[in-house]
Amino acid sequence: MNDRTLAGTGATPRAGVGTVVWYRPDAELEEPPEDGVDEDEELGRFAEARSVAREELERERERTAERVGDEEAAVFDAHVQFLDDPQIEDGVEAAIEDGLPAEHAVERAFADPIEQFEGMEGRMSERADDLRDVRDRLVRLLTDGERTDLSTLPDGTVVLAERLTPSDTAQLDPERIAGFATATGERTSHAAIFARSLALPAVVGVGGELNEIGDGTTVVVDGDDGEVVVNPDSERRAATADGREADVRHDPVATEDGTEIDVAANVGRPAELDAAKSQGADGVGLFRTEFLFLDRDAPPIEDEQYEAITEALAAFPDGRVVVRTLDVGGDKQIPYLDQPEEENPFLGERGIRRSLGPDEDPFETQLRALLRAGAAEGGDLAVMFPLVATVGELDAALERVESVAADLADEGVEHAVPELGVMIETPGAVFAAEELAERVDFLSIGTNDLAQYVMAAARENGRVADLHDPLHPPVLRAIETSVEAAHANDAWIGMCGEMAGNPNLTEVLVGLGLDELSMSAVTIPDVKANVSKTTREAARALADRVLAAETKETVTELVEEP
Amino acid sequence: MSERIVTVVPEAGLHARPAAKFVETVNEHEADVRVAPADGDDDLVAAGSMIAITSLGVESGDGVRIVAEGEDAHEALDALETVLTTPEDELTNA
Repeated sequence: MNDRTLAGTGATPRAGVGTVVWYRPDAELEEPPEDGVDEDEELGRFAEARSVAREELERERERTAERVGDEEAAVFDAHVQFLDDPQIEDGVEAAIEDGLPAEHAVERAFADPIEQFEGMEGRMSERADDLRDVRDRLVRLLTDGERTDLSTLPDGTVVLAERLTPSDTAQLDPERIAGFATATGERTSHAAIFARSLALPAVVGVGGELNEIGDGTTVVVDGDDGEVVVNPDSERRAATADGREADVRHDPVATEDGTEIDVAANVGRPAELDAAKSQGADGVGLFRTEFLFLDRDAPPIEDEQYEAITEALAAFPDGRVVVRTLDVGGDKQIPYLDQPEEENPFLGERGIRRSLGPDEDPFETQLRALLRAGAAEGGDLAVMFPLVATVGELDAALERVESVAADLADEGVEHAVPELGVMIETPGAVFAAEELAERVDFLSIGTNDLAQYVMAAARENGRVADLHDPLHPPVLRAIETSVEAAHANDAWIGMCGEMAGNPNLTEVLVGLGLDELSMSAVTIPDVKANVSKTTREAARALADRVLAAETKETVTELVEEP
Repeated sequence: MSERIVTVVPEAGLHARPAAKFVETVNEHEADVRVAPADGDDDLVAAGSMIAITSLGVESGDGVRIVAEGEDAHEALDALETVLTTPEDELTNA
């Protein structure tokens, strides 16, 4: 018998079994003992933690130098310097003499320097983050991993957490962990999308009950049924270990009556190209470029971007790779781009608004890399602009492309203008879809943002999760309007939001007339299978019934009918 | 005890890479080295502490007073003067 089963939202059609490790980044230290500590013992613990930290930093520095580059590795040298800083050493010793355990002493010794650096201008204020990193590393070592290091988890770990941020998931090694479950979150949360892109078993939004599962417990994380099974019986374990691997199809698919649908992958970093290929993607329908800008002190240079794009083109020599230009703002912050704090970041300066404004220089660099990649070997390049709301923005972006092309021609640099497109994510773009489609080769619907803006319901706000659903008739009608506008103007139209990767919706999306569906790699086999099971006519009939529906509930019934 | 006043050349002042190089150089020598801004009456701080020297707020063009004591005091002062008078783009890790 299974001990108990907790229900949540499945993030991936995959299940895994493993041993629980809790990740609690905000865990408070326990109160220090009132009757003081053995000073020598605490000093010894501090010395030991410091020497282990130094070894870890040395290893990470080497690994980073190998994988990324010497410049990026230099940050670890700074960490070692902080680790050995006499001011820190004196501060820790003084605090231990005051009767604090080593971990509390470390927290106290770092407090003032962190505050001091935080108060400084420009890049020095980033040193505060380095100090925090060093402090957290020492505290982790001193508390025996109460603060878990995500990058060094043993094989077969199931990570449990309240939530996982992008910097948390970036540390997870998908080859090693068996899956994760979070108390908060929805299908469209960052962590869920991350899990799908790597075919990692994951359940999100389990709720507070998750906290009752202790470290070391064996659990099944079933992303298919959306449940976490505590102490599964042998039958359940065996069923999970067998896994459920869909049949992968590497050839392009068409409906029974011959309408070809491109089924492509959303890719957020180069490591995901392999997953995309192995799941049978025809190409890349959304190549996010933000990874090039994260975890560093300055924007990437043109050559670095060129190489990343040509790597993707080389991975799909017979396919198409749609690159989205830099899309920061909203919840995506990049320190050196100097993003202001905004009261409503999702309604603020993000996407193309920044590329035509404060980020015009990085935008130009990116366009140069893209136009050069347009002439490179491999698959066909396409480029699209995010969060366009007006025809004027698109015209301005197209002008930049022209002027970059002219510059490259003057310089005698080999280049070609790729297919150009616009993302349909705002109601503004839907209502202007005709005029936008006239000017470009394709449109691509980002359903996560489109649902958020059409329904005025924030993606990460659980209290309005029900509204943030693309099956609400207003969102479906916005999709229909966009498809018609594209086809009336000889443009093709794709969809790259989470909606495109829901196999239950494949038929209705084919019926709505989408030419391309792009999704997290893991759902590609199921979607390909469903494309080939329907006919254009049956799909259109379903789409017509769905478009006539007045409520989300009716739509749900229609699409779930066998 | 020896001391010297040096005008800081690197654009970053006594921050970032020049500061890191400065600390590294201090640690390579058998000497107790302390620094303070040349003008004003700030206390001398441990030159081997990145945190302490950064807190001085020394910018390019400012003078710093370096005090060294110990076996290598002179060599340390010479080496530190070189660090502080070398433009940042010429600073190497050698």
